[in-house]
Amino acid sequence: MTASRKMFRLSAALLAGSALSFLTAAPAMAQGKAGFEDPNNWPEYHRTSNAWRFSPLNQVTRENVKKLKVAWVHQPGNITHGLQATPIVIDGVMYSISANNNVWAIDAATGKTLWNYAPKLDKIVDQVFYGAASRGVTVGRGKVFLGTLDGRFIALDQKTGKELWSTQLTAPKTQYGALFSAPPQLAGNVLFGGTTGGDQPIAGKIYAVNADTGKPAWTFDVIKNDPKSWPGDSGKVGGGSAWMPGTYDAKTDTIYIGTSNAAPDYYNYDRKGDNLYTASLLAIEGKTGKLKWHRQEVPNDSWDYDSAYEALVVQKDGKDVIVHLNKGGFVFVMDKKDGALENVWQFSENVNWVKGIDPKTGALIDPIYPEVDKVKTFCPNLLGARSWNHGAYNPGTGLWYSHAMEVCNEVVAGKDDPDNLKAVSALSLGIESIKLVAPPNSKPHGRLDARDPLTGKVKWSIKYDMPPLSSVLTTAGGLVFTGDLEGKIFGYDADTGKELWSFNSGSGLRGGPVSYSVKGKQYIVFPTGLGSHAPGFLAGAFPQIKDLPGGAALIAFTLE
Amino acid sequence: MTQETSRTTVAGRLTITALVMAFAMISAAPSTATATDTPIVAPSFDLTDPARIAVGKKRFNKTCAGYCHGSDGVGGRAPDFKGRTDLPDEEAYRTIFHGRRTSDIMPPWGEAFTPDQIWELVAYIKFLGTQ
Repeated sequence: MTASRKMFRLSAALLAGSALSFLTAAPAMAQGKAGFEDPNNWPEYHRTSNAWRFSPLNQVTRENVKKLKVAWVHQPGNITHGLQATPIVIDGVMYSISANNNVWAIDAATGKTLWNYAPKLDKIVDQVFYGAASRGVTVGRGKVFLGTLDGRFIALDQKTGKELWSTQLTAPKTQYGALFSAPPQLAGNVLFGGTTGGDQPIAGKIYAVNADTGKPAWTFDVIKNDPKSWPGDSGKVGGGSAWMPGTYDAKTDTIYIGTSNAAPDYYNYDRKGDNLYTASLLAIEGKTGKLKWHRQEVPNDSWDYDSAYEALVVQKDGKDVIVHLNKGGFVFVMDKKDGALENVWQFSENVNWVKGIDPKTGALIDPIYPEVDKVKTFCPNLLGARSWNHGAYNPGTGLWYSHAMEVCNEVVAGKDDPDNLKAVSALSLGIESIKLVAPPNSKPHGRLDARDPLTGKVKWSIKYDMPPLSSVLTTAGGLVFTGDLEGKIFGYDADTGKELWSFNSGSGLRGGPVSYSVKGKQYIVFPTGLGSHAPGFLAGAFPQIKDLPGGAALIAFTLE
Repeated sequence: MTQETSRTTVAGRLTITALVMAFAMISAAPSTATATDTPIVAPSFDLTDPARIAVGKKRFNKTCAGYCHGSDGVGGRAPDFKGRTDLPDEEAYRTIFHGRRTSDIMPPWGEAFTPDQIWELVAYIKFLGTQ
């Protein structure tokens, strides 16, 4: 197909999408209210800046969800590390990404490829640890943006997929393959994002460029220049990368982004200090990159617990608060304005690295640190209370739906051998050994919890033999969607957790399901295909993972 | 199998491997990532040497087991090493050197470890096969 024909079809699709938008599935509440904007689309990573992963569409309901049928399947062809993206959907066109930074524009009603972009990547990408995978693209300003496996931000023309600019931001050869596995996000005319690197001996940074030109705008050093926080040269290899997408509040020009653990992960002997700004939630001014406030959740993180996950925004007593889960098994509730603590509640059943966290001050109560020459068991394990697979919030039920895993690890801390840190793919885990083990007095397992996000009170909970690694979607139709490691997709009643629908996709889910509407029809799309290192690591506790097949397919469902 | 015959067998297999690799160089342009132009260097020690197995075990536990192959080589998406007897030495060496990509990824270690450091890992994996 010629470029002009492709463009014509795309324009026709866009016109049809906008002309018919008034016919689309009615959103549950008035537009304009936070979380209900742009109801027919999935315009950004978490759909809206409050990170709800909530679709206001209600054509698919508890009553008719059983009638969902496959509308189309899109296969990118390369299954390495599966599909980890959350697709973006705007006016009938889906934008997604598959292995090796292949970007796709897809007709969201038919699954037909409109254009495909495959960047020429530096050969270094064959050596990196976090290879092949990407968690999405960002669409705005007439462009599709991606972060690459060789450390670049790239902008494509939204209509044609032609490359507009490319900016090298990291030095992968000297920064242990620091790469962008998460899609960079827009903050006005600024495009920002952090790299992998919480477990690598580098100093984490958040990079920002002008979204229209690619010209570097600012860089934020996650490693604070403070010898009390980082004795000696420890900060130079202190990790702390912001490896998940941040969110952006346009009203206050504020970026909310979490940072990873300090490195070496378990060997803290050379970094006795709080290790700011690792394991923290940061509020950064979009225009300048200046820090507005920060809340460190795991000072002197010595357990690989991170605080990199999504900043969910909900209301408490009429004000906006951020609800923030970290890998250590606690949820911090804080004032969105200044990070002042409102509450801390325990998310994991099994937590033994602290006796608790003071809900008034955030102080760790009697933390137990890893030591050399001693086997110590820590719960949760290094993949966390939950992996990065995001939760979802439904304003209709007031519940936050999040997966969880209950697995621990036995760790002996150890200084990294310099010989082991020569590879681009090397991790600075700071261990002599590590082993996944069952929690005391129970089997390792996974869950989907429906909770009050402010207090953690459980409304319902579903247990799984293996912890699901899919992000969660919730809709105004009173539904919660997710999938498990075997590839089974589920639709649950958002009020009760009752299973209302399921579909066997054949390979596990690791990406983010989305919902949108085209020409009056609601679609629900699931990225399927098991990928990332997490399933491999979890096989130590769940041997059945070893035999699960890989895959890569977007599967779209709609009502008959 | 005695130590002497073991080493001879390994050396013989390596010669064939080197020939195959030389042919591969002619038929396809090598990349730095696959490093097909790097022939396998034979181990300078006996792969059953307990001291070398111990060094390999330490390196395995500090690196390979962290995320990918599990404690004692049990876990991960690859077949368990414990009790495994069907993994030829040179195949283990090549996989560590070049890494591999299927639905999962093992990164290459050839540019980081010396041949003997890789052989120490092979020695430990072989030892696990006897457990």
